[in-house]
Amino acid sequence: MEIRGVQIDDTFAEAFGMRGVRIIITAKNQKWARESANKLTGFATSVIACKCEAAVERELAPSETPDGRPGISVLLFTMDSDSLPKRVIERIGQTVLTCPTTACFDGLPDSPDRLAIGKPLRTFGDGFQASKMIDGQRYWRVPVMEGEFLIQETFGKAKGVGGGNFLILAESADVALDAAEAAVEAMAGVPGVILPFPGGIVRSGSKVGAKKYKGMIASSNDAFAPTLRAITQTALPEGVNSVLEIVLDGLDFRSIAAAMQAGIDAACRAGVHSITAGNYGGKLGPYHFHLRKIMSGDLDEAPKADASKASAPA
Amino acid sequence: MSDRITLTLRAPLERALDAEVISADRLAALSAQEISSLRLWDGRNPVALGDVFSVSGERAQTVVLEGDLAKLHGVGSMMSAGVLEIHGAIGNAVGARMQGGAIAVQGSAADDAGSAMSGGSLVIAGDVGDRAGGALQGASKGMTGGHIIVRGSAGREAGTRMRRGVLCCAAAGPFAGLGMIAGNIIVAGAIGDGVGAGNKRGSIVALGGVRVPHTYAYACTYRPPHLSLMLLFLRERFALSVDDAHLHGLYKRYSGDLAEIGKGEILEWQAT
Repeated sequence: MEIRGVQIDDTFAEAFGMRGVRIIITAKNQKWARESANKLTGFATSVIACKCEAAVERELAPSETPDGRPGISVLLFTMDSDSLPKRVIERIGQTVLTCPTTACFDGLPDSPDRLAIGKPLRTFGDGFQASKMIDGQRYWRVPVMEGEFLIQETFGKAKGVGGGNFLILAESADVALDAAEAAVEAMAGVPGVILPFPGGIVRSGSKVGAKKYKGMIASSNDAFAPTLRAITQTALPEGVNSVLEIVLDGLDFRSIAAAMQAGIDAACRAGVHSITAGNYGGKLGPYHFHLRKIMSGDLDEAPKADASKASAPA
Repeated sequence: MSDRITLTLRAPLERALDAEVISADRLAALSAQEISSLRLWDGRNPVALGDVFSVSGERAQTVVLEGDLAKLHGVGSMMSAGVLEIHGAIGNAVGARMQGGAIAVQGSAADDAGSAMSGGSLVIAGDVGDRAGGALQGASKGMTGGHIIVRGSAGREAGTRMRRGVLCCAAAGPFAGLGMIAGNIIVAGAIGDGVGAGNKRGSIVALGGVRVPHTYAYACTYRPPHLSLMLLFLRERFALSVDDAHLHGLYKRYSGDLAEIGKGEILEWQAT
């Protein structure tokens, strides 16, 4: 398959189950909602070292937020249910509670699985906090020096998908970056999806473990490192001098597939040789995003039986 | 099965009747004949409902009452589900101890409307008498949940000893929020004297000015973040007229009642 002269490899991205929340931050204006969201999602690129993955999902107009103020939607994922509330509580406590004018709300109100988030954070009020029940939901008013911080008592938890990805193989680093930036722009605002890495782009895609250092969880993906082409078992076609990766987390398979479709299409431009994806031979992650199926418009998750038969990349 | 049950008053009531039996959930499973045989009470004497009302429809979730019902007391008591529409004025204790469902009164209601209710909504297009949302005689708690929306004025002691829930009215008489334990009273217009006396943790929002009791102390002028959330909810759910100036405006916060534990508040909106 080719799109505008760019080859789409017959392979798939292999992704994992995660647990996530959607956090709605509102503020006096978009500037302060963004300030808080940027801090909340800082150092949250990969569970490998950050313990969670988080990023801004999209900006929200006042008509879309619970309190009628400008807001931002953030998605945060962890690998397991147990650590999710801990990560959310510590990040909201340090980056939203502390930020001028903000309030914090649950963005998954229909989820039956509830995490106590505002409930433990209320104790910052040292007994002076007060609760309000509004439309069946409890909110905590925590007194702070600025005035009051408002936070919902519980947040919905969702099963998510982490590690959707595709790689852009280009003739130069400049072309790879331009293509990746175009892909990120095309994926911005797709509901239920985040790109947790800086600017949505990863330059240091990794392989599991390491060849030399036994204790490493992950190390440089030498098969795609152009400087190692001559001394390792390379996966780079001739003429490829730079590779950038896009990593996606999302609330469901279809959202990620839709974002990948938009991103890959935007990345197919002059100077890009091919688009491929990272996987582990289909043995580890239950979610397989087949690039050619997605680019053919099939965004639905394959039945698990079919997914298990998926082959390693060519 | 009908889409609604309509009870139409046969003749003007000469004496007060106790009509606690009339509520949407109790009538929902009954035939017209069974509804007609229900008992109202004239003092200690039973009166067949069918002798007072003509009954049309049966086995429906919505019940409509028609006529001058100002002497009919206790309608909708302990109602837990369904819809009760009252086309006209209604007597005492409409929706008392109500647990769920919706009651809409197109006229005014007398005393003790929604007293000790714990859930559901009671919307009154006209005025209400005294102790709306308050406590039953001798009880320690008034309403513990639900919403009472009075588009007209409330009488004395609205929200007395209320524990939770929301009571909204266009104006309130003296001693609104008397002995309030918690919960919310929102008054769009004038409020009588003695507001929030004995208030423990309740919130009283005054959008149209208030004479703050001496047992409250000024804290600050700020934008209470929960209030925009609550007012937006009320505007959306009950079509309340809420200005943007109220949503995002400044409020003076007074803590009180300091003769009690002082964790309650009066929030007085500041016109700019």
